[in-house]
Amino acid sequence: MDTKTCQEVVAEVIRKDLCTLCGGCIGLCPYFIAHNGRILLRDICDLHQGRCSTFCPRISLDLEETNRAIFGVPYSWDGVGTNKAIFMARSTNVNITARAQDAGTVTSLLCFAKDEGIIDSAVMTLFEDKSFPKGVVVSSREEILACAGSSYMATPVVEVLNRGAQEADRKRIGFVGTPCQVLALTKMRASRLEERNPIGKLELVIGLFCTWALSHPSFTQFLEREIPDPIVKYDIPPHPANVLHVYTEKKRMDIPLDKILPFVRPACWVCHDLTAEFADISVGSGRGKVSDWNTVIVRSSKGMEVVARAEKKGLIETREIPKENLSRLERASYNKKKRAFKNVVQKTGSVEDLLYFKVQTEIVHRLLAE
Amino acid sequence: MSDIAVNAPKTSQLLMGNEAIARGALEAGVGVATAYPGNPSSEIIGTLAQVAKELEICVEWSINEKVALEVAAAASFANIRALSAMKQNGLNVALDFLANLNLTGVSRGLVLVVCDDPGGISSTNEQDSRHVAKVLDLPLLEPATFQEAKDMTKWAFELSEEIANICLIRSVTRISHARGNVVLGELPLRENHARFDTSRKPYASIATATPPAFHQRLHRDLSRIREIYEESPFNWYVGPQDPELLIITCGSGWLYSKEAVEILSRQESVGILKIGTTWPLPKAFISRHMLRTKKILVIEEIDAFLETNLKELSVDLAPGRSLTFYGKASGHLNPFGEINPDIVIHAIADIVKVNYVSKEVDYQKKCQRMIEENIFRRELQFCAGCPHRTTFWAIKDALKMDGRDGFVVGDIGCYSMALGSTGFSQIRTVHAMGSGIGIASGLGKLNSFGFDQPVLAVCGDSTFFHAAIPALIDAIHSQSDFLLVVLDNAGTAMTGFQPHPGIDMSATGDASLPIDIEKLCHALGVAVVVTDAYDIKGTTQKFMDLLRIEGKPRVLISRRECNLIRARREKPLYKVQVNPEKCIGEACGCEKFCIRVFKCPGLIWDKNTKKAKIDEAVCSGCGVCVEICSQEAIVRE
Repeated sequence: MDTKTCQEVVAEVIRKDLCTLCGGCIGLCPYFIAHNGRILLRDICDLHQGRCSTFCPRISLDLEETNRAIFGVPYSWDGVGTNKAIFMARSTNVNITARAQDAGTVTSLLCFAKDEGIIDSAVMTLFEDKSFPKGVVVSSREEILACAGSSYMATPVVEVLNRGAQEADRKRIGFVGTPCQVLALTKMRASRLEERNPIGKLELVIGLFCTWALSHPSFTQFLEREIPDPIVKYDIPPHPANVLHVYTEKKRMDIPLDKILPFVRPACWVCHDLTAEFADISVGSGRGKVSDWNTVIVRSSKGMEVVARAEKKGLIETREIPKENLSRLERASYNKKKRAFKNVVQKTGSVEDLLYFKVQTEIVHRLLAE
Repeated sequence: MSDIAVNAPKTSQLLMGNEAIARGALEAGVGVATAYPGNPSSEIIGTLAQVAKELEICVEWSINEKVALEVAAAASFANIRALSAMKQNGLNVALDFLANLNLTGVSRGLVLVVCDDPGGISSTNEQDSRHVAKVLDLPLLEPATFQEAKDMTKWAFELSEEIANICLIRSVTRISHARGNVVLGELPLRENHARFDTSRKPYASIATATPPAFHQRLHRDLSRIREIYEESPFNWYVGPQDPELLIITCGSGWLYSKEAVEILSRQESVGILKIGTTWPLPKAFISRHMLRTKKILVIEEIDAFLETNLKELSVDLAPGRSLTFYGKASGHLNPFGEINPDIVIHAIADIVKVNYVSKEVDYQKKCQRMIEENIFRRELQFCAGCPHRTTFWAIKDALKMDGRDGFVVGDIGCYSMALGSTGFSQIRTVHAMGSGIGIASGLGKLNSFGFDQPVLAVCGDSTFFHAAIPALIDAIHSQSDFLLVVLDNAGTAMTGFQPHPGIDMSATGDASLPIDIEKLCHALGVAVVVTDAYDIKGTTQKFMDLLRIEGKPRVLISRRECNLIRARREKPLYKVQVNPEKCIGEACGCEKFCIRVFKCPGLIWDKNTKKAKIDEAVCSGCGVCVEICSQEAIVRE
């Protein structure tokens, strides 16, 4: 694995607008900090092999190698990543579904894992004051529940894992995050430098489907101008609505996606991962007939075990994924890869220079051709 | 009783050059002595301040060198002998006044001592102040020994009174700061009463006559000085009747030349003409010696001042006679940096064609190698517990978080070291005292050209009084967009903690009226915020807040007494320790964050445990590193 200095993280990731704000480089050392939606290098570190660059999902990403290391099988460019099962699921607890973004599967699974002692705590995103989300360590059902709901904003959650995992009384940690955050954790797992990082404490990773994330503070400032009232929830309904629903205490306001897209983090346009391909369990929303369900992809044995036990206990219920939903999901996943490589090549002007991707040229040609 | 004030004529004392100058002034019956501190000149007034009460003289640390010279001149006008001391940069500050004072003249003896800093050991520049004597047509003396430093100073008062004008003395670091035996003279009885003679014609170079008329008088007076110099005991010759090579030297060059001739055993063929009165040159005296040789080597520090003037003199002296000059123009000496006996030896050896082999070949290279191998490489650093370190830490973080490529314009003081890693390389410009604020003010007016970077100017409390105030007023008047950071550490720290107008104590230790920078800023109508430099988080936040305000000047006073001053008075604030259980050593922040980045000298590395450790002898107990440690391994009790 290539390793680079912290200055190279700044030069090759942050300055090139490739930073996803996953937070993988923060909380490890005093040098990198997150401030106001940006990662800053406060001081120059002279280490040539830094964890910051090693864990960064935007430095030297070899999907083939990573997939073999994590799942022991080749990476699939066509599907939704290595998996053991794809189905629909939802929480059976009305208290959870009432607060959830969609159907409450993530919250229910996490509560189950906590109750069963599979994890003693979890790193999640708290979107409490509805201004700027923040990563938190949760260790109770109430705290897990408080983290339900999506912010659509990028926030450096992995920082919290980096910090929180250091605490001795945390021995089994769960994590809920976006594909880029999951990728950072995956790189930590694969790293030779992992002994400095208590990544071994990470027991369960739930990935969230993600198309893109919005930038703070520009999006927050935009919303403050558009909607002065406090915001309770965001939602993007399925295609072809092309709109962001913003719920306040009083009403729902609709903002056309065209007005939102300028606030998407530039780094998201070169992201290939829709479904968090290296999580134990990946969860997204349902579409069409099953819109009150979550789409669930189980990738690891541990993921299978957690889902099966939660279902057996009646905490979640499942059903088959409709054929058209599955093919739409696969197409969407493939399209995100196409989008990523098209934008990368547009950025560099060459199929030889793929920024952070290490991919065979013929695969790039194939992705770009169709 | 301090030694410098002892009235024991003909006894000998080991004195620093600057102390010898101070003693010379006392033997001349100086009544008023002023300066703004600046090395290598600071000890002259520092020494006099210590004996001021005892000897009933008036000594002050003035706000700046121009005011220092004005205060001293006033004493002279009122019939009191006075002395002002400054470094070469300071002379520039005083020059505007000096270039008028020379025309109006003075009354009682007024001596201006300028200490040059060859090699810029403690200066931002390297400058040969002797040129000023020539430009302003004033007499100049250059002591070559510690005895001369005292004797010349005393004599300078007499010369000054002879022509009723200022007499200049030029010292250099190795004269001012080295020590030697000095035979004392008598201390006079305190005499006169100060009175300004209103019947005298005004001290003004306009109205009573035109400036050229005064200028003409200067030249006439200088001719008189030249005649006196012809007989001066500060000029002498040692060597053979008709030397193969004549060394003409002054100041620190005398001892170097003497040593060089002895080492080469050339006393029989190389003569040394030592000149103490370097402007105007005693033509006849020098000519007599120049006519006895064909080769002249001029040894002096910094510029070819003596060399050029001797060449000028030689043209009139012996038309058609072939005299060859060696020195800076020939490349035997550099017109910059310090000189030393080795340089002089090599110059002589080359001219008289002696094969000189030093006792050890490449000795200098060997020394350099030994230094590199055996001595830990140290950078210029803020002291342990220095409040500047924490202020620059906050500045660094605030500018990063602000994210608009803001930067810091520097000034003169300990904090100039923030050019380097001890201040996290934050400073982008350093010039003269107060210039940082002027430059920041200028940058803050460029908005119409699309300039949008935040600008911070830093200056110390003493620098603020010295020269920052006019630039600040300029900025307030024009609403220039920048943040002035006054690093108020309650003293003129870099030159040795001299008091300044912001301090409630005078040079002589008496109570004095302190000027409050904060109140002054309020009165000037500029927004001012005060912070404790040790409160890193709070100070960073204040920087962030002030950076967000745009379109006008703002002032942040980062206040914390210099830790060296505090430590003289009090015990450390905290006992600081590193908990080795918590310290993660080399893994911390990719290699020892506290030692490698924060860089307080109180934090050291324990090779055995591979953990950080507090050097108890160095730690000042400020406790700030507790905030820096990401592992909460540093604790304060």
